[in-house]
Amino acid sequence: MTIPLGHYLILAGILFAIGLGGALTRKNAIIVLIAIEVMFNAGILNLIAFWHYGHYASLTAQMFAIFAISIAAAESAIGLALVIAVYRHYKSVDVDEMKSLKG
Amino acid sequence: MDIAFWIISGITVLGALLAVTLRNLVHCVLSLILFFLGIASHYFLLRADFIGAVQILIYIGAVAVLILFAIMLTRNVTGTEGPRETLGVKWWAGSIIAGTMAAMLTWAIRGDQISQTLPGGDKATTSVAEIGRGFIGDWVVPFEIMAVLLTAALIGAVVIALEEVMKRR
Repeated sequence: MTIPLGHYLILAGILFAIGLGGALTRKNAIIVLIAIEVMFNAGILNLIAFWHYGHYASLTAQMFAIFAISIAAAESAIGLALVIAVYRHYKSVDVDEMKSLKG
Repeated sequence: MDIAFWIISGITVLGALLAVTLRNLVHCVLSLILFFLGIASHYFLLRADFIGAVQILIYIGAVAVLILFAIMLTRNVTGTEGPRETLGVKWWAGSIIAGTMAAMLTWAIRGDQISQTLPGGDKATTSVAEIGRGFIGDWVVPFEIMAVLLTAALIGAVVIALEEVMKRR
């Protein structure tokens, strides 16, 4: 394989930018969460790319990737529970309508 | 091997783009699954077999299904109705910010020496047994903390989602 490391880094950067654009432009809270998942995955891809290209003798990068994936899973569970709770309250998942901090 | 990188990268970027732009929520989740599969394929290509399997099990098996359930609980199953997405100033601002960020990252990465690094042969491989020994060896404390964190997160998710039902009784 003759793909240099930069290709993977640029790919991860483009994916992160796509996720950022989605999180900034969409109104639906569930799609904002989907965009955050895209950004998480772009970051984890970097870990594995650096592992493959320089530090393949050590376990550290793979362990970090596994912990990051676990944290992302916990984050999405909490996020979706919050979306459901907000939906019960406002009858909407539009992030522009969630303006009040009162209960 | 090189052609595999370009094909998988194309699929991954396409899946990510569709996941954040489509109108139908269920189609968004299906595109997200395509994106997760592309990332898992990249992991297999990079010889991180275990991470690829974990990616498929956790993201496609758990996270995507969780998002589908959230869609079903918050609207009718087709998922077409919902907030109207408009091509207003917000869309332009977000797109410009994202585009600028992609351009800046690409420029910064291309300008750095490290981006020219080539893999040191095909030695890069880690067995599942090694990872398992790592979990009960050097990494046992983070591993246990992660177990507690996941338990707390799942209990918290149930509590948050059930709150109003408890009040009603």
